[in-house]
Amino acid sequence: MKFFSSRSTVIAVLTVCCGLSIWGCSGFLKEVDPTNLTKESFFTIPEHAESAIAAVYADTRFIGDYAGSFSANWQLLEALTGTSTTESAENASLNNLYSLVHDGNNRHIVNWWNGLYRVIAQANLVIENVPNISPMDEEQRSKIMGEAYFLRAWAYFYAVRLWGDIPLITKPQNAGSDDFFPQRTSIEEVYALIVNDLVNAESAGLPWMDKSGRVSLAAVKSQLAMVYLTMAGYPLNKGNAYYQLAAEKSGEVITYARANPGILNLFGDYSAFRDPSRKNELEQIFMIQFHGSIVPNMQGLFTRPNFKPVSVTNTGVGTTVPTLDFYNSFADDDLRKKDKTGFFYTSYYTNGSGALFSLGGPYIFKFFNTIANGAPGQTGTGVDDLNIHQIRFAEVLLVFAEATNESTGISDDAYEALTRIRTRAGLTTAARNSFSKETFREAIWKERWHELCYEGITWFDMVRLRKVYNERTDRFDDFVGHVNLSSNQTLKDRHLLLPLPTLEMSDNPNLRPQNPGY
Amino acid sequence: MLVVAASAYVKGMAQEKTEVRGVVRDAETQQGMAGVTVAASGATVKTDSIGSYRMEVGPNAVLTFSSVGYESVEIPVNSRRVVDVMLQKSTTALDQVVVIGYGTQRKSDLTGSVGSISERTLKERPASSVNEMLAGRISGVQVNVNSGRPGGFTNVRVRGFSSINSSNDPLYVIDGVMTESMGFINPTDIVSIEILKDASSTAIYGARGANGVILITTKRGKSGFSEVNYNVDVSTPTLGPNMPKYLNAREYLQVEDIAYRNIEKYDPVGWADGKYELRNPALNRTDPRLFDSEGNPLYDTDWMDEATQHRISQNHQLGITGGSDSRSYAVSLGYRDDQGLIKTSYMKRYNGRLTFDDQVRDWLKVGGTLTYNYQTENRVDQDYLPIRMIAEGLPFLPVKYPDGSWSANRDYPYAEASLNPIQYLYERKYILNTQTALGNIYSNIRLFEGLEMRTELGTSNITQEINTSVSRGLSIMGEQGSASVNNGRTNFWSLDHYFTYNNSLSDVHSINAMLGMSWQESSAFGINVSVQNFPSDYFGFNNIGAGSNNPIYGSGASRFSFNSYFGRVNYSMFNKYLLTVTGRIDGSSKFGDNYKYAFFPSAALAWRVSDEPFLRQNEVVSNLKLRMSYGVTGNSEIPPYSSLSLLNSGYIAVLGDQRVGGTGIGRLANPDLRWEKTAQSDVGVELGLFNNRIAIEGDLYYRKTTDMLLDAPVPRSSGYATIRRNVGSMENKGIELTVNSRNIENNAFSWKTTFNISMNRNKVLSLATPSDIIGVGGVVFINPTNIIREGAPVGSFYGLIREGIWSEAEREEAAKFASYRNGLPILPGDIKYRDVNGDYAITDADRMIIGNGSPDGWGALVNEFTYRNWGLTVDLQYAYGNDVFELSMGSSEDRVALANSYRTVLNAWTPENQHSIIPELRDTRAGYVINEDTHWLKDGSFVRGRNLALSYTLPSGMTQRWGVNQLRVYASLQNFFLIVSDEVNGDPETVGTGFGAGAFSQGLTYHAYPKPTLYMLGVNVSF
Repeated sequence: MKFFSSRSTVIAVLTVCCGLSIWGCSGFLKEVDPTNLTKESFFTIPEHAESAIAAVYADTRFIGDYAGSFSANWQLLEALTGTSTTESAENASLNNLYSLVHDGNNRHIVNWWNGLYRVIAQANLVIENVPNISPMDEEQRSKIMGEAYFLRAWAYFYAVRLWGDIPLITKPQNAGSDDFFPQRTSIEEVYALIVNDLVNAESAGLPWMDKSGRVSLAAVKSQLAMVYLTMAGYPLNKGNAYYQLAAEKSGEVITYARANPGILNLFGDYSAFRDPSRKNELEQIFMIQFHGSIVPNMQGLFTRPNFKPVSVTNTGVGTTVPTLDFYNSFADDDLRKKDKTGFFYTSYYTNGSGALFSLGGPYIFKFFNTIANGAPGQTGTGVDDLNIHQIRFAEVLLVFAEATNESTGISDDAYEALTRIRTRAGLTTAARNSFSKETFREAIWKERWHELCYEGITWFDMVRLRKVYNERTDRFDDFVGHVNLSSNQTLKDRHLLLPLPTLEMSDNPNLRPQNPGY
Repeated sequence: MLVVAASAYVKGMAQEKTEVRGVVRDAETQQGMAGVTVAASGATVKTDSIGSYRMEVGPNAVLTFSSVGYESVEIPVNSRRVVDVMLQKSTTALDQVVVIGYGTQRKSDLTGSVGSISERTLKERPASSVNEMLAGRISGVQVNVNSGRPGGFTNVRVRGFSSINSSNDPLYVIDGVMTESMGFINPTDIVSIEILKDASSTAIYGARGANGVILITTKRGKSGFSEVNYNVDVSTPTLGPNMPKYLNAREYLQVEDIAYRNIEKYDPVGWADGKYELRNPALNRTDPRLFDSEGNPLYDTDWMDEATQHRISQNHQLGITGGSDSRSYAVSLGYRDDQGLIKTSYMKRYNGRLTFDDQVRDWLKVGGTLTYNYQTENRVDQDYLPIRMIAEGLPFLPVKYPDGSWSANRDYPYAEASLNPIQYLYERKYILNTQTALGNIYSNIRLFEGLEMRTELGTSNITQEINTSVSRGLSIMGEQGSASVNNGRTNFWSLDHYFTYNNSLSDVHSINAMLGMSWQESSAFGINVSVQNFPSDYFGFNNIGAGSNNPIYGSGASRFSFNSYFGRVNYSMFNKYLLTVTGRIDGSSKFGDNYKYAFFPSAALAWRVSDEPFLRQNEVVSNLKLRMSYGVTGNSEIPPYSSLSLLNSGYIAVLGDQRVGGTGIGRLANPDLRWEKTAQSDVGVELGLFNNRIAIEGDLYYRKTTDMLLDAPVPRSSGYATIRRNVGSMENKGIELTVNSRNIENNAFSWKTTFNISMNRNKVLSLATPSDIIGVGGVVFINPTNIIREGAPVGSFYGLIREGIWSEAEREEAAKFASYRNGLPILPGDIKYRDVNGDYAITDADRMIIGNGSPDGWGALVNEFTYRNWGLTVDLQYAYGNDVFELSMGSSEDRVALANSYRTVLNAWTPENQHSIIPELRDTRAGYVINEDTHWLKDGSFVRGRNLALSYTLPSGMTQRWGVNQLRVYASLQNFFLIVSDEVNGDPETVGTGFGAGAFSQGLTYHAYPKPTLYMLGVNVSF
């Protein structure tokens, strides 16, 4: 064997050694992600707790996220009630909800499941890890824990009302977690966690109101009152004791409001709902936070008429618009019905600020942002800064009135709570002694339907009471057998719960059985 | 000839060896040829830069001289000391030397399935991208050119799909260096392309070979021979065949009238309540800018016509090659300016390239390549809006009003509030600037006779800017103008060492072995900013600080690395029985700690039957080779860090009207994440008839992919959506056949035909997830369009079945259905879907697999004619059995009178025309329905006239008087006809705008950039 040159051999050996030296670096195939943290490197200083709770708040916005073309997730809670309909059929998932033929593949239903459990997972991360951060100011720690407890309860409260028995996850998950493939937990146990979380949040040192939109003590107490009220009704039927708890808890909020009317109160009129500068104050106890230059709210897009020029942006798809029956069920002198004043409008200005034109029917004005869309003499900005409503003081008043009436019968305070809502609407209320317990009950229910419409509340009233307001008779039908006037479809037993998402059931074999009727 | 050689070996055995030397020259140019393989008795050497060689052989040995593109020559030594030889340019493919991974091989010695395209073939179809040049050329390789945008937008699949949501794209290797960015290589610099298809060929690229490997060889200089080559072409586009047809102004208004009248039928209650009074078209046709006093339209605009331009594109390519005794170089410069069919779209490319090779010593050769490309383009179809609005622009609007302002659909009451397509084209920019610097250097050291060591160091440095801006006038949601800047950089380097050993152990056995190792590392960094609300349109994206709202900013970094060891042995006995064994061990940073390394082996056998005595003298069969191979390759094209558990710091909370960054759940860990593997078997036959006048090559293959990488769904109760893991398996099986025929061949006239056909069948065998996988690899439109289901082809189209339109006779049956149109009852004239589960409700449970975007078969038929100095090429391409899923049907047919529609709506259902498949026209607010269904699915089989090219080479006697070696003039007509089902709206070879990222998007139509017919003239001069 004849070598060409000894130099060739030397160079070859050197080159190979040079290569092998890379191999010598044992770290060559090791990977460290420079853009993301690991759990081990996080939750070490108080700022991490602030960052973690921010992620929980961020995920609450799923309610406003898209659910396919022309629709958002919040519309699930309106489509089922029969008080609204759609001017567009582009979204099969939404169509099926309106027609009450939804199944476990329904995109809105899947999005709610995914969205709520994501909030729960984020909250679990805070609840598990923030107690271990050291050193940390205890007051700061307690508040953040309180916010996390509230937000976890908020999510579970939605979930248990929508699906009944559901997985109860209280620890951060990894692929090896014991409850990674959870079974369904009973409604009773889920409510126990909700109440426990809210009681924990109540003592966390949160301020009564918080203009920044963070969880406040008023939000915790109001939510607890609503939880008790729901537990008193279907499906747990815990009855009187829980009506009493609901009355006490909402009473605490009302007592505070009476003493601090500049902090917690009803707004003087409905225009404040549409005013971005009045977010998170006075009547607005808890809201989903948006901001036009950070994350704009798309709610207006879905409630504006289908391509009628009511806005500078000239876009609206009309996938949640009032049924005529529901609109007509308001008294003619009800300010909430008054064009461009209360909750509806039947005419508007061309492209937001031009000539007035008739819309040919009623549309939702409750969240119509005149700054974004335009008003006479004022071109719209196109940017919607409004928040999505969650808890208003008006609802607390109605919870108090209902809970009091159910537990101890009509009282001065309960009567006053109802009349405050009606007075603002420009309505007179029959004298207190003209009401029986039964007529007072229905008067409160009806007020809930009217005052709280299109805020994601009516559906849960239908399920909790198993009663539905009949817009034509002005009375209450039983849930089963009521015909939703939006689609002429009849409510059946199975509609009391949503189907579990089909994919979730196949990804988790322990999640069974499916809710009845699906 | 081979037979002679074989017998010579036998005679030469046991004789004394002596040195033979000589010079190899090109018969045409008389120049010495570098790199010619000289083989005798299994040993090989290469000629040096001036074409000389020397080697030790027995006195009776036969020397074989071979080089890419030349006829091989065999010359018995007959005890001579000097053997000089002239090589003729090749006319048959068999003697070609083809590039394989880490080496070259004569085509006749191949044991695997390798497709090869020569420079001459590439020249027949001038194109701006490599993939476009490949389309239809090689069986088993499916290239879809899915957009008419300058630069195109292509999908390449070699033998079907191997993966669910890892990549299905082949690996590109340019001059031995793996690359992720072949999109920016200049096609004129390419001298040949090889495509490795079976596992025996691809396994040498182990982990990255599962989707096939495309080897690109670029031009290099030749010593002692200088040439200047200049090529220029100019072209212009016109609208291509089978463009969709839209309503004109009169027809649109007629449809709107009918739609209004039918409200009474479809929403009688709303009609009676007066809800639609304002909707009366008579009340809305009052704008004096658009209508006369009678309500007749003043304009009739053809938006497609308005949106297109016919500007001249030009392409200049200058190449100089040269060399002295031991050194050679090649320099090229290019400039391309493609002006798109759609206004404002363009692509410009500037490129420069330098290669050098130096035989420093007889044992040492070094060389390198440096390439720089700068490409800038305006991608008007990056967002669907501009192209969609061409389809949906109201035809009675002018482009601009007499006062110079843009018209818009929103000017007309109750229309969908969209803007003017031409305004979009001029006032939206999506500028993509890409700078690519590629470099590689190599050294080749001959350690001793037969043993060489090659070291290659390659690097690529790509910086890419995506700059976008939208004018204030195009604000839909009050943005008041927006702009974004997205800059990224990717650095890649690789270092390969490999030893090649060539020897014959005796005259019977010869062996060629290769052993090597490789390191690769890629790191990327990117930054992005976007902002809204600008005081002026002046800045565009050039002063992003001038914007004031909604700032979004971020940056990211990532890195991955590979470490590999590979080897190959080619063994041949009597030059008839050929065996190849390869193996590669690959380690990747992307996998779990326990599974970083994997081994990918392959083996192949070939038998040159025509060299057996019983066929040697056969007058019909001139070549017959049988081959079979089996091997395993891998796929690792997943994002880095997929196996780690991470938190995500990308959450944005709004608190106190401030943006607050949040950190929360990110990714689930999977320390067991491992390689996706594809095992492939292949049986092939190569047959040459009548002295290889007819050459046939056929392959049968079976590929099975296991441990598919997937973002598999997990219970969402965990808060997580997916975990990246290995699930299930999938198969592809197929047939490939290529026939090359020289039908007529004489001095004046020749006619050659190439035909190829490929058939591939894909099936998902198992999924480790319990359920179907939907929403992966396709598009989520109204519903997810694609489904992955056991037993069905991967990524099948999924939807409802449209049975027709409910007839008057079926009124009662229709009424039983729960409403699927705005809550209103189902009536005759509404769409009738198949109620699969019989529950009288149309839901997701009624959705089924309805089609597939992959063809049953595809290929090309190319005829080439030459008559004296004239050449004519007719290049046809076809595919059949592929479905097109027209997602544009929802807005262009199923709903009307919100925006313009396809002309097909004129044939909608009426009580007099009950056999229509199109629902009765009605105002959308009176209840309609849109669902992905079988009516949106069309048979996308097609035959396309891809290229018609005519060339004339001036007689050399004439040109040489001017000092010109060759002067060739050519004309080309590309995409000159299309045969396709009448029902298909537009081009069936398509991916909808914005859907490119999906693995299974092929055939999903949604307002793609229309494909032009291109007229081209060019001149090629060399001297």
